[in-house]
Amino acid sequence: MSVRLVVRTFSELCITVGALIVLFVVYFLFWTGVKAADAAEGEIDTLQSQWASEPVAPAPPSASASAEPSDPAPYRGGKPFATMHIPRFGSGWEWPVLENTEVKTLQKGLGHYSGTARPGDTGNFAVAGHRRTYGDPFKDFPKLRPGDAVVVNDGTTWFTYRIAKKPHRTVPTDTAVVDPVPRSSGFEGAGRYLTLTTCEPEWGSSHRLIAWAHLDATRPVSEGEPPELAD
Amino acid sequence: MYGWIWRHLPGNAWVRGIIALMLILAVVYALFQYVFPWAEPLLPFGDVTVDGASAGGAGAGR
Repeated sequence: MSVRLVVRTFSELCITVGALIVLFVVYFLFWTGVKAADAAEGEIDTLQSQWASEPVAPAPPSASASAEPSDPAPYRGGKPFATMHIPRFGSGWEWPVLENTEVKTLQKGLGHYSGTARPGDTGNFAVAGHRRTYGDPFKDFPKLRPGDAVVVNDGTTWFTYRIAKKPHRTVPTDTAVVDPVPRSSGFEGAGRYLTLTTCEPEWGSSHRLIAWAHLDATRPVSEGEPPELAD
Repeated sequence: MYGWIWRHLPGNAWVRGIIALMLILAVVYALFQYVFPWAEPLLPFGDVTVDGASAGGAGAGR
Protein backbone atom coordinates (compact mmCIF):
# COMPACT_ATOMS: atom_id res chain seq x y z
CA MET A 1 0.00 0.00 0.00
CA SER A 2 2.73 2.43 0.92
CA VAL A 3 4.68 1.51 -2.22
CA ARG A 4 1.67 2.44 -4.25
CA LEU A 5 1.44 5.77 -2.42
CA VAL A 6 5.10 6.51 -3.13
CA VAL A 7 4.78 5.61 -6.81
CA ARG A 8 1.63 7.67 -7.16
CA THR A 9 3.13 10.71 -5.46
CA PHE A 10 6.22 10.43 -7.61
CA SER A 11 4.19 10.25 -10.82
CA GLU A 12 2.10 13.21 -9.78
CA LEU A 13 5.26 15.15 -9.09
CA CYS A 14 6.63 14.30 -12.55
CA ILE A 15 3.40 15.39 -14.21
CA THR A 16 3.44 18.64 -12.26
CA VAL A 17 7.03 19.43 -13.18
CA GLY A 18 6.34 18.58 -16.83
CA ALA A 19 3.31 20.85 -16.89
CA LEU A 20 5.35 23.64 -15.28
CA ILE A 21 8.04 23.36 -17.93
CA VAL A 22 5.53 23.39 -20.77
CA LEU A 23 3.83 26.43 -19.26
CA PHE A 24 7.14 28.22 -18.87
CA VAL A 25 8.05 27.58 -22.50
CA VAL A 26 4.67 28.96 -23.56
CA TYR A 27 5.25 32.01 -21.37
CA PHE A 28 8.77 32.50 -22.64
CA LEU A 29 8.22 32.05 -26.36
CA PHE A 30 4.71 33.39 -26.71
CA TRP A 31 3.56 35.44 -23.77
CA THR A 32 6.64 37.67 -23.49
CA GLY A 33 6.04 38.60 -27.14
CA VAL A 34 2.43 39.52 -26.43
CA LYS A 35 3.48 41.60 -23.42
CA ALA A 36 6.29 43.34 -25.34
CA ALA A 37 4.10 44.15 -28.35
CA ASP A 38 1.55 45.65 -26.00
CA ALA A 39 4.15 47.61 -24.03
CA ALA A 40 5.93 48.85 -27.16
CA GLU A 41 2.68 50.04 -28.66
CA GLY A 42 1.90 51.87 -25.42
CA GLU A 43 5.32 53.53 -25.41
CA ILE A 44 4.93 54.65 -29.03
CA ASP A 45 1.48 56.04 -28.22
CA THR A 46 2.97 57.90 -25.27
CA LEU A 47 5.65 59.37 -27.50
CA GLN A 48 3.25 60.40 -30.20
CA SER A 49 0.86 62.15 -27.84
CA GLN A 50 3.86 63.79 -26.20
CA TRP A 51 5.15 65.00 -29.56
CA ALA A 52 1.70 66.15 -30.57
CA SER A 53 1.19 68.17 -27.41
CA GLU A 54 4.49 69.99 -27.18
CA PRO A 55 5.53 72.39 -29.92
CA VAL A 56 8.14 70.91 -32.20
CA ALA A 57 11.47 72.41 -31.24
CA PRO A 58 13.02 74.44 -34.03
CA ALA A 59 15.32 72.26 -36.09
CA PRO A 60 19.00 73.08 -35.85
CA PRO A 61 19.97 75.65 -38.50
CA SER A 62 21.87 73.05 -40.48
CA ALA A 63 23.06 69.48 -40.18
CA SER A 64 26.55 70.75 -39.63
CA ALA A 65 25.66 72.55 -36.40
CA SER A 66 27.98 70.48 -34.31
CA ALA A 67 27.90 72.72 -31.26
CA GLU A 68 24.97 71.40 -29.22
CA PRO A 69 22.67 74.34 -28.68
CA SER A 70 21.77 74.73 -24.99
CA ASP A 71 22.02 71.26 -23.46
CA PRO A 72 18.63 69.57 -23.85
CA ALA A 73 16.95 67.99 -20.85
CA PRO A 74 18.38 64.56 -20.07
CA TYR A 75 16.30 61.53 -21.00
CA ARG A 76 14.38 60.01 -18.12
CA GLY A 77 15.26 56.42 -17.20
CA GLY A 78 12.88 53.83 -18.56
CA LYS A 79 10.99 56.43 -20.64
CA PRO A 80 10.76 56.45 -24.43
CA PHE A 81 12.32 59.27 -26.42
CA ALA A 82 12.52 58.03 -30.01
CA THR A 83 11.30 55.42 -32.43
CA MET A 84 13.51 53.23 -34.58
CA HIS A 85 12.75 51.76 -37.98
CA ILE A 86 14.89 49.22 -39.81
CA PRO A 87 13.45 48.45 -43.24
CA ARG A 88 15.64 45.34 -43.53
CA PHE A 89 13.64 43.80 -40.66
CA GLY A 90 10.33 44.48 -42.38
CA SER A 91 8.44 47.59 -43.45
CA GLY A 92 6.31 47.56 -40.31
CA TRP A 93 9.28 47.17 -37.99
CA GLU A 94 8.95 50.01 -35.51
CA TRP A 95 10.15 49.94 -31.91
CA PRO A 96 10.39 52.61 -29.24
CA VAL A 97 13.82 53.50 -27.88
CA LEU A 98 13.83 53.90 -24.11
CA GLU A 99 16.47 55.38 -21.86
CA ASN A 100 18.79 52.90 -20.09
CA THR A 101 19.36 49.17 -20.59
CA GLU A 102 17.77 47.68 -17.48
CA VAL A 103 15.92 44.39 -17.69
CA LYS A 104 12.54 46.07 -17.27
CA THR A 105 13.32 48.65 -19.93
CA LEU A 106 14.34 46.09 -22.52
CA GLN A 107 11.07 44.27 -21.95
CA LYS A 108 9.24 47.28 -23.40
CA GLY A 109 11.40 48.11 -26.37
CA LEU A 110 14.98 48.96 -27.28
CA GLY A 111 17.29 50.38 -24.64
CA HIS A 112 19.62 53.34 -25.10
CA TYR A 113 22.91 52.94 -23.25
CA SER A 114 22.84 55.78 -20.73
CA GLY A 115 25.79 58.02 -21.21
CA THR A 116 26.17 57.45 -24.93
CA ALA A 117 25.31 60.11 -27.47
CA ARG A 118 21.82 61.21 -28.46
CA PRO A 119 20.56 60.48 -31.95
CA GLY A 120 22.27 62.71 -34.45
CA ASP A 121 24.90 63.97 -32.02
CA THR A 122 28.61 63.55 -32.40
CA GLY A 123 29.57 60.35 -30.62
CA ASN A 124 27.95 56.96 -30.49
CA PHE A 125 24.21 56.49 -30.15
CA ALA A 126 24.21 52.95 -28.69
CA VAL A 127 21.07 50.82 -28.47
CA ALA A 128 20.49 47.29 -27.15
CA GLY A 129 17.59 44.99 -27.98
CA HIS A 130 16.37 41.45 -27.46
CA ARG A 131 17.08 39.01 -30.21
CA ARG A 132 14.66 36.42 -28.90
CA THR A 133 11.67 36.72 -26.58
CA TYR A 134 9.97 40.02 -25.75
CA GLY A 135 8.83 40.48 -29.31
CA ASP A 136 12.09 39.34 -30.95
CA PRO A 137 12.97 42.89 -32.10
CA PHE A 138 16.47 41.96 -33.30
CA LYS A 139 15.64 38.46 -34.55
CA ASP A 140 17.00 39.18 -38.05
CA PHE A 141 20.11 40.97 -36.79
CA PRO A 142 22.56 38.83 -38.83
CA LYS A 143 20.77 39.87 -42.02
CA LEU A 144 22.00 43.46 -41.68
CA ARG A 145 24.27 44.40 -44.55
CA PRO A 146 26.41 47.45 -45.33
CA GLY A 147 24.25 50.26 -46.60
CA ASP A 148 21.09 49.17 -44.77
CA ALA A 149 19.16 52.08 -43.31
CA VAL A 150 18.48 52.48 -39.60
CA VAL A 151 16.03 55.33 -39.19
CA VAL A 152 15.51 57.08 -35.87
CA ASN A 153 12.83 59.66 -35.12
CA ASP A 154 13.19 61.77 -31.98
CA GLY A 155 10.05 63.79 -32.54
CA THR A 156 11.70 66.66 -34.38
CA THR A 157 14.07 64.99 -36.83
CA TRP A 158 14.41 61.80 -38.85
CA PHE A 159 17.97 60.50 -38.61
CA THR A 160 18.98 58.01 -41.27
CA TYR A 161 22.00 55.93 -40.37
CA ARG A 162 23.73 53.52 -42.75
CA ILE A 163 25.13 50.21 -41.58
CA ALA A 164 28.89 50.22 -42.14
CA LYS A 165 29.68 46.51 -42.19
CA LYS A 166 28.29 43.09 -41.47
CA PRO A 167 27.45 42.38 -37.81
CA HIS A 168 30.49 41.87 -35.65
CA ARG A 169 30.69 39.10 -33.05
CA THR A 170 32.36 39.88 -29.77
CA VAL A 171 32.41 38.96 -26.09
CA PRO A 172 30.05 40.47 -23.49
CA THR A 173 32.82 42.39 -21.73
CA ASP A 174 33.89 44.25 -24.87
CA THR A 175 32.46 47.60 -23.84
CA ALA A 176 34.70 49.45 -26.28
CA VAL A 177 32.14 48.71 -29.00
CA VAL A 178 29.92 51.48 -27.62
CA ASP A 179 32.75 54.00 -27.26
CA PRO A 180 32.34 57.35 -29.05
CA VAL A 181 34.68 55.97 -31.70
CA PRO A 182 33.95 52.26 -31.43
CA ARG A 183 36.85 49.85 -31.56
CA SER A 184 36.86 47.27 -34.40
CA SER A 185 34.22 49.24 -36.26
CA GLY A 186 36.65 50.59 -38.81
CA PHE A 187 35.56 54.14 -38.03
CA GLU A 188 38.38 56.60 -37.60
CA GLY A 189 38.02 59.86 -35.76
CA ALA A 190 34.98 61.43 -34.21
CA GLY A 191 31.71 61.17 -36.04
CA ARG A 192 27.99 60.61 -35.64
CA TYR A 193 27.74 56.88 -35.12
CA LEU A 194 25.13 54.36 -34.08
CA THR A 195 25.74 50.99 -32.42
CA LEU A 196 23.22 48.18 -32.06
CA THR A 197 23.89 45.28 -29.69
CA THR A 198 22.08 42.00 -29.14
CA CYS A 199 22.90 38.51 -27.96
CA GLU A 200 24.75 35.81 -29.86
CA PRO A 201 24.07 32.95 -30.39
CA GLU A 202 20.38 33.43 -30.93
CA TRP A 203 19.32 31.58 -27.78
CA GLY A 204 22.52 32.01 -25.80
CA SER A 205 24.51 34.64 -24.04
CA SER A 206 28.13 33.67 -24.54
CA HIS A 207 28.71 36.42 -27.10
CA ARG A 208 27.19 39.62 -28.46
CA LEU A 209 26.45 40.73 -31.99
CA ILE A 210 27.27 44.34 -32.80
CA ALA A 211 26.29 46.46 -35.79
CA TRP A 212 27.67 49.92 -36.48
CA ALA A 213 26.27 52.67 -38.62
CA HIS A 214 27.10 56.27 -39.39
CA LEU A 215 24.74 59.19 -39.87
CA ASP A 216 23.87 59.60 -43.52
CA ALA A 217 21.03 62.10 -43.64
CA THR A 218 18.70 64.12 -41.45
CA ARG A 219 15.28 65.46 -42.27
CA PRO A 220 12.91 67.57 -40.20
CA VAL A 221 9.79 65.69 -39.19
CA SER A 222 7.73 68.42 -40.83
CA GLU A 223 9.00 67.26 -44.24
CA GLY A 224 7.57 63.78 -43.75
CA GLU A 225 9.09 60.34 -43.66
CA PRO A 226 12.46 59.77 -45.28
CA PRO A 227 12.42 57.85 -48.58
CA GLU A 228 13.94 54.77 -46.91
CA LEU A 229 10.62 54.10 -45.20
CA ALA A 230 8.53 54.54 -48.33
CA ASP A 231 8.82 51.00 -49.63
CA MET B 1 -1.91 14.87 -3.96
CA TYR B 2 -4.41 15.47 -6.76
CA GLY B 3 -6.61 12.67 -5.40
CA TRP B 4 -6.53 14.29 -1.99
CA ILE B 5 -7.60 17.64 -3.43
CA TRP B 6 -10.37 15.98 -5.42
CA ARG B 7 -11.70 14.18 -2.36
CA HIS B 8 -11.77 17.40 -0.36
CA LEU B 9 -13.68 19.46 -2.91
CA PRO B 10 -17.37 19.86 -2.10
CA GLY B 11 -20.34 18.94 -4.26
CA ASN B 12 -20.85 16.35 -6.94
CA ALA B 13 -18.51 15.53 -9.80
CA TRP B 14 -19.61 18.51 -11.93
CA VAL B 15 -19.16 21.04 -9.17
CA ARG B 16 -15.80 19.56 -8.29
CA GLY B 17 -14.76 19.69 -11.93
CA ILE B 18 -15.63 23.37 -12.20
CA ILE B 19 -13.85 24.22 -8.96
CA ALA B 20 -10.81 22.22 -10.08
CA LEU B 21 -10.75 24.11 -13.37
CA MET B 22 -10.89 27.42 -11.56
CA LEU B 23 -8.07 26.32 -9.27
CA ILE B 24 -5.95 25.40 -12.31
CA LEU B 25 -6.65 28.77 -13.95
CA ALA B 26 -5.74 30.57 -10.74
CA VAL B 27 -2.44 28.70 -10.55
CA VAL B 28 -1.64 29.43 -14.21
CA TYR B 29 -2.46 33.11 -13.70
CA ALA B 30 -0.21 33.28 -10.65
CA LEU B 31 2.60 31.61 -12.58
CA PHE B 32 2.35 33.94 -15.59
CA GLN B 33 1.85 37.06 -13.53
CA TYR B 34 4.34 36.57 -10.71
CA VAL B 35 6.47 33.44 -10.82
CA PHE B 36 7.67 33.39 -14.44
CA PRO B 37 8.51 37.11 -14.66
CA TRP B 38 10.63 36.58 -11.57
CA ALA B 39 12.32 33.44 -12.89
CA GLU B 40 12.87 34.64 -16.45
CA PRO B 41 15.79 37.06 -15.86
CA LEU B 42 17.67 34.23 -14.15
CA LEU B 43 18.01 32.59 -17.55
CA PRO B 44 20.66 33.86 -19.95
CA PHE B 45 18.48 34.77 -22.93
CA GLY B 46 17.99 38.38 -21.91
CA ASP B 47 21.66 39.31 -22.11
CA VAL B 48 21.85 41.75 -24.96
CA THR B 49 24.13 44.45 -23.60
CA VAL B 50 27.85 44.73 -23.27
CA ASP B 51 28.74 44.68 -19.58
CA GLY B 52 29.42 47.79 -17.63
CA ALA B 53 28.67 50.03 -20.56
CA SER B 54 25.58 51.47 -18.94
CA ALA B 55 25.29 52.97 -15.52
CA GLY B 56 21.87 51.42 -15.11
CA GLY B 57 22.71 48.00 -16.47
CA ALA B 58 22.67 46.34 -13.08
CA GLY B 59 20.73 43.34 -14.23
CA ALA B 60 20.91 43.54 -17.97
CA GLY B 61 24.43 42.32 -18.32
CA ARG B 62 24.19 39.15 -16.33
